Amino acid sequence: MKFAPLILKHLRKNWIRTLSTVLAMAVCIFLICTLQTVVDAVNYGLHLGNASRLVTRHYVSLVFNLPNNYEAKIAAVTGVKNITIVTWFGGMYRGDLKYFFPNLAVEPEKFLAIYPEIMLPEDQKQAWFHDGRGCIIGRKLAEKWGWKVGDAFQLESFIPPYRVGKPFEFVIDGIYDTDLVKYPATDLTAMYFNYKYLYEATGEKTGVGTLTELIDDPSHAGAISKAIDAEFENSDTQTKTETEQQFIAGFVAMAGNLALLLNGIGLAVAFTILLVTANTMSIAVRERQQEIGVLKTLGFPSGLVMALILVEALLLGAMGGALGLLLAGGAIRVLPSVPYIGDVVRQFPGLGLSSRIVTYGLGTALLLGLLAGFVPALLAYRARITEVLRQL
Amino acid sequence: MSTTNTVTTTAVSVQNVRKVYQRDSIQIKVLDGINLEVQQGEFVALMGPSGSGKTTLLNLIAGIDRVTSGKVVVAGTDLTPLSEGELAKWRSRNIGFIFQFYNLIPVLNAVENVELPLLLTPLSGRERRERAMTALRIVGLEDRAKHYPRQLSGGQEQRVAIARAVVTDPTVLVADEPTGDLDHQSAEEILTLMETFNKEFHKTILMVTHDPRAAAKARIQHHLDKGVLSN
Repeated sequence: MKFAPLILKHLRKNWIRTLSTVLAMAVCIFLICTLQTVVDAVNYGLHLGNASRLVTRHYVSLVFNLPNNYEAKIAAVTGVKNITIVTWFGGMYRGDLKYFFPNLAVEPEKFLAIYPEIMLPEDQKQAWFHDGRGCIIGRKLAEKWGWKVGDAFQLESFIPPYRVGKPFEFVIDGIYDTDLVKYPATDLTAMYFNYKYLYEATGEKTGVGTLTELIDDPSHAGAISKAIDAEFENSDTQTKTETEQQFIAGFVAMAGNLALLLNGIGLAVAFTILLVTANTMSIAVRERQQEIGVLKTLGFPSGLVMALILVEALLLGAMGGALGLLLAGGAIRVLPSVPYIGDVVRQFPGLGLSSRIVTYGLGTALLLGLLAGFVPALLAYRARITEVLRQL
Repeated sequence: MSTTNTVTTTAVSVQNVRKVYQRDSIQIKVLDGINLEVQQGEFVALMGPSGSGKTTLLNLIAGIDRVTSGKVVVAGTDLTPLSEGELAKWRSRNIGFIFQFYNLIPVLNAVENVELPLLLTPLSGRERRERAMTALRIVGLEDRAKHYPRQLSGGQEQRVAIARAVVTDPTVLVADEPTGDLDHQSAEEILTLMETFNKEFHKTILMVTHDPRAAAKARIQHHLDKGVLSN
């Protein structure tokens, strides 16, 4: 601690340089932590998928629908306990994507049986089962728009087959909650309505987007998936069946590649900042040749001189890291309420600056500081008094 | 700071010292078989033209450079076999160094500069500050304790540097052209101060200088020319 004034005064002397280095480091840590948080949130969502649920979709792409009669054929496959249609409707509230929230057409009774995380009072369940234009909405969505049971609203889909010349009108039959401890990934901003309504409104021409199956044993998921896909192997519309976890992984733009991309960006930024900070430290130390010579003449051991420079670099890293974490924490808190981005971000249930990421961010900042300061500190360690003082 | 008289003993003993610098493939002989004895409490001036090896000899005695051959014994310690770390520790206890260009740390004020060598001692913060203020009082700059080097004149900076050199009460003070960057009056003040440390505090002083007037303040003068010493 007795050397602290010496270190701090050096940082304060060139405060513009110190500030710019700290800001550069902060931006780096901010990016790394924010990107890592997104990666974690995506992974978190993936791991929370129900292992007892399979999702069947068109083999080529999610863009194409499956024939309606596939539901009955899949229901007959051994190991399938229940099945429901889940079709992405793509409805826009007020006809504008900026008011977007997830809305899907399902078969109410079967859907609630397969998705126990969607929790509704019994009277609301019954109301929904018997209301063709009824829908249920998540608690957060209801709070966002101030909607109550009995309220009506309209949605217009941006998907061509579902654009029928006029908006779809819905009545809220229920507001669902969940047990966040048991089902933390449950989306409370979604809306579900009766597939029959969609089917009839489109002139009974539309197919189903996906089919979700509840199976008897998660350990049989592979065999059942194969059996389902084998059923349609020789048909015009082949299927691809996978676990809900795998389906979500594919749905969120190949999460593995996303993580690689985001980590790659973080690494590139970190490397750039390492060069910037190392350059700053080199200049700072080069300007201090006289001081290094004097300290050594006074009897400061080379190791101590090296340590003083390393601590200075670590301090830069710590300040940048702390500021970066504050920025990341603020951004992650604010993001869900940002138009457009917020709608996407809210889909990630585990979004938040975890202690693991705080440690990771701070550790990266300190490591960058240490690496940036190492070479200048080593040069100071090796500096010979007679040579550095002769250069003055 | 010790003011007691001591029995005359050898403070510095330079025995048949050679110093050769290697510059690429060229060997530059700087000191060639130097022998020098300095008794405790003496004020010795080393004179000579540029490149004669004065500063090199001073650096060897101060333990900041190493002999090519020969032996340097200062304050009873043979410096030749000491490691870099041991030399640093030894310097912090036995040597006070006064530079031509003062070499104060610009980000530290006067008292912090003086306190710097005391950071290597186990003294408390208060004790360090008290000793540094005492040293500044002796050099007449107590009222400039909070001034930064840029706020001081050259003469004042050198007095702060002297305070820094004596604050640990070292055995030997070495000064490399201490008046070389000062005007006549400031130089006179610095030399008077060094005389005071020699006479009142019995500090052994070795001073390298070009200036005959500065050398005249010393009790003993040695001349170096082409690496060879003469009285």
